[in-house]
This record gives sequence, structure tokens and C-alpha cells, in this order.
Amino acid sequence: MRAFAEWLYGTAPSVAIQSTFWFIRLLQATHLLTAGVVSVSGLMLALRALEWQRADQPFEAVWARFAPWLGWGLAVMVSTGIAQTLGDPVRELTSTSYWVKLVLVLGCVGGTLLLARPACRASPATGSSSAAKSIAVALILFWLAIVLLGRMIAYDRAIWGSLSLRT
Amino acid sequence: MNTQSILESIQDSTLAHWMRDTTAAMPVVEATHVLAAVMLFGTVLIVDLRLLGLRDSPRALTRLSRETLPLTWLAFGIAVITGSLMFSTSAQTYFSNSAFQLKALALFSAGLNMALFQLVTARGPAPRASRIAGLVSILLWAAVILLGRWTGFTKGYDFTIPPGIELAFPG
Repeated sequence: MRAFAEWLYGTAPSVAIQSTFWFIRLLQATHLLTAGVVSVSGLMLALRALEWQRADQPFEAVWARFAPWLGWGLAVMVSTGIAQTLGDPVRELTSTSYWVKLVLVLGCVGGTLLLARPACRASPATGSSSAAKSIAVALILFWLAIVLLGRMIAYDRAIWGSLSLRT
Repeated sequence: MNTQSILESIQDSTLAHWMRDTTAAMPVVEATHVLAAVMLFGTVLIVDLRLLGLRDSPRALTRLSRETLPLTWLAFGIAVITGSLMFSTSAQTYFSNSAFQLKALALFSAGLNMALFQLVTARGPAPRASRIAGLVSILLWAAVILLGRWTGFTKGYDFTIPPGIELAFPG
């Protein structure tokens, strides 16, 4: 992985990103702002499944409110994340936090889609199934961990110790 | 007691020493600060978009605020605690950093905007003023996050060293 990251570091797109003073800063700031939109949208859906937010509304209404923000925000977040990886591939690809974060993002996308399935949907009359509530708890933990891990990429060794991929 | 001596005492406090001397303290506190800031922005955005008249229009603003603000305050409290811990590690440096000063100004302005909205705008039927308050709030909180990130980039060199402070760099 390190050899691939070092090769990527020398490619034209990577050099272009590295050499533009303000671009990395803009990417990081945009990534942070969209992380707010995405994680809070995901949390609101999970909290609705747990009936801690908007329990008077059917799940479909809460989905219609937050899913578009989650989807579009995620698209921007992934785009800026890819650009940041291209700009500093050795730092990103050799970080344990980075890979755990990616797995959790996939888990959140899958879990959120599961919540939207008819079998899991919550309604004010029937409430959520226990499976939906379990998924929602996992999603809350995952969304929080994703944001934490994003910042922890900078401190991989201090956080992961011997489990750090950054040797 | 002048500003410099207050900053020095903050920097010499037990907590500041613990932050500097504990390997995992800064990464954990900084990541938690980012998490709180991100949650704060996301939850504020829900209410501000409602003020702007975008989405959620059938839901009463008072109800929306009542549901969302506890999360916002929780995030704000965590951000203040973790931010203070980070500030204590290099109080003099942060205090003199132009990006940090701008962040503090944006934070103060966001608070003022919120207070003005609560005390004046929200009490009367003034949709135009509410929209302006919502837009200003989004811009100010986004600025707080942008300038917070900028502080991380600039800390250590993008400021004028205050008189009487000696910086020792490892040889």
C-alpha cells in the first residue's frame, strides 16, 4: 500500500493538488461542513427509528426531509475525501483510522438503507421494530466514530499504537 | 493582572501540563472538538433552514427548536470544554493568532445573532428578519468552522510574536 501511495504522490493530479496553496484548505473545510450535514442527517433518521426525534411523524416524512441532504452531502463528502487522498496519499492510505472510517461509511450507507425498508419503517402507530432500533443504535455510534476518525488520521500512531499502519 | 500574565497562568495550569504531557490527550480532545463543532453546525442548520423557509415548513419553528436545540447545546458545551483544553496548551500563541482571533469574533457574532433572534425577532411576526437571522447564522457558523480549521494550519507562524515572549525551536 505504501508503494502505491508513494507512486500516487508523484502523479500529475496529486502534484496539482499539493501545489495549490489554498486548495487543500478549501477541501478540508468543505469536507468538514458536509460532514456536519451528512452525520446530523444520518443521526436524525436513526433517532427517529429510536423514537427520540419526531416520533409524531411517520418515518417516510422524516426520510423525505433528511435523505436528500444525506445523499447529496455524502456525494460532496466522498468527492472532497477522494481529492484529499489524492493530495496526500501517503498520509491517508497508510492510516488505520482512514480505512476504519471507510468501512464505517459503507456500514452507515447500508444501515441507513436498511432503515428505509418497509419491514423496518417506523410509524407513529406501531413504532419501530427491535431490529430497526438495533440498527439505529449502531448507526449513531458509527456516524460519531466517522467524524472522530477523520481527525484522528493525523495522529494515527498515538491513537492506534502497534495497530497503526503508519510504520 | 494583565492579559499576558493571565495567558501565562492558563498555559502553566495543571490541565495544560496534562494536555501537553499525555500522548493521547491532544488527538482525542481535538477529534472530540471537531465532532462537537460538526454536530453543532449540522443541528443549527436544521433550524436555520426552517427560518429561511426551506423544507420542514409544515413543522412549527418553536417545536423544531425545542427538538433540536438540546442537541445543539450539548454539542456547544462539548466544543467549549474541548476548545478550552486545546487553548490552554498554547494560550499565548492562540491568543495572538489572527485566524483564531477571527474565529472568536465569528463565534461572538453568531452568539449575538442568536440572542437577538431569541429576544427580538422570534417574538414578533417578522419573516424577513427571521430569514436574515437564519442566513447570517449559517454563514457565521460556517465561518467558525472554516477559521477553526485555518487556525490549525496557521498556528505557529502566521502571527506577530508578542513582546516579551521567547520561542525555543529544537535544534
